[in-house]
Amino acid sequence: MMKAPLLVTPILVLTCLAGAAPVDAHHAFSAEFDATKTVTLKGTVSKVAWTNPHAHIHMDVPNQAGAITSWDLELGSPNALMRRGWSRETLKPGDVVTADGYLAKDGTNLANARSITLSDGRTVFAGSSNESAKD
Amino acid sequence: MRFAHWTLVVGVIFTVTGGLKAQAPAGSGSIAGTVVDPVGSPAANIVVQARGADGTPRRATSEKTGKFAITGLPPGAYDVSVNVPGLRGYERKDIRVTAGASATLDIRLEEGTQLSTLGEDPRGIAADRLRHAPPSGPAPRTGDGKPDFTGVWWQPVVVDQGAPEWLPAAQQVAAQRQANNRKDSPQVFCLPPAVLRRGPLIEFVQSSSVIVEISDDDSPGFHKIYLNRTSHPKQPDWLWYGDSVGHWEGDTLVVDRVNFIEDVWLDQDAHPHSDKLHVVERYTRPDLGHLETVVTVEDPGVLAKPWTFKRVAELAPKEELREFICNENNSDLPHLVGK
Repeated sequence: MMKAPLLVTPILVLTCLAGAAPVDAHHAFSAEFDATKTVTLKGTVSKVAWTNPHAHIHMDVPNQAGAITSWDLELGSPNALMRRGWSRETLKPGDVVTADGYLAKDGTNLANARSITLSDGRTVFAGSSNESAKD
Repeated sequence: MRFAHWTLVVGVIFTVTGGLKAQAPAGSGSIAGTVVDPVGSPAANIVVQARGADGTPRRATSEKTGKFAITGLPPGAYDVSVNVPGLRGYERKDIRVTAGASATLDIRLEEGTQLSTLGEDPRGIAADRLRHAPPSGPAPRTGDGKPDFTGVWWQPVVVDQGAPEWLPAAQQVAAQRQANNRKDSPQVFCLPPAVLRRGPLIEFVQSSSVIVEISDDDSPGFHKIYLNRTSHPKQPDWLWYGDSVGHWEGDTLVVDRVNFIEDVWLDQDAHPHSDKLHVVERYTRPDLGHLETVVTVEDPGVLAKPWTFKRVAELAPKEELREFICNENNSDLPHLVGK
């Protein structure tokens, strides 16, 4: 899968040393996703659910034979995404994207989205597509 | 509490090869290696800290390739740690450094307990941190001369964790809940989060008779601090947020909280509480940009003695708290698994 390097700013790091914020999500990562099972999905956005506690991107993903499988990608909350510059219009039905993420533990067609790359190679980040997929 | 998780407990996969390189200056040694993220990509700008017997932290920042080198280390044993919000904390004890040599330590960061998806991932947290720009100046006051806490604040950062002494039974419950991936936490069911949890943003709306504290990612997300009464109801009314009364001691707002419903968890480390839980929060605003809280947790049912910690929030004047209707689409429930 495409691997986007983890970049953490020095400002962030200094803050960490001073004491970390007790960030938390609605549920624990380990309760739903398997950190050892990554997945790359290439397909077409069929629906954007701009909902709490998590936004979801639904995708139609074709296999080599052309058969379509529907996938559900879980994102952060709209609050968190909006602070990064996203909106419910950032991705639209019909957009062709490649998503990297972690598979759900229960074996369903559910994954969380670690990164989403547009068809022109730009990785959607902070709403400005300002992160090169080749970084 | 959560800071133990969040604060980045770090469990990392590491390798210590003990490889010796003739790079360090005579009389000192170094610790060097590569930091990679949970999927194996190089992790840049990560601060790796080594602390030796003298207690002095020595640090190096990883390059774009993930490589780091902490040099000039007096010979001895070092504890190495890495803390990145959103990922598990990493700690490796007793790395041996000898004069003129370099000990190799390759660090693989692991996913933390948060969702780690777009918006709630290490980069998202980093992006939030970049938005922090607390203004300077004196703390504002209300018309009656009291410090005014009104405003939106970033999630408080714990600056002094204190030393909670959990009773064994409470530790056991917390361990069981954590081993079960906290999948039965009230928050999962869109009920209020742990008593001591705040954020990622909080807001205070203040009047002379009541203060409303609003917390993001929380349902319903607000509780009231009554300033117009001094005591709690004689007949306890068990509540998710407890009963909160406040009074002023000089420029400090002292909030006294009791009567927490049994179902609510105490902290993000999944500790329980008893019907004796008593939380005292002492709020001060030393300047325009900062809100300090000293929290004392007293509960003879779960703690051997009162536990005091301190956290500080920065003003977030450009942020708004959007509504968080958790049950709008809580589709996670059928997918959650324990152990």
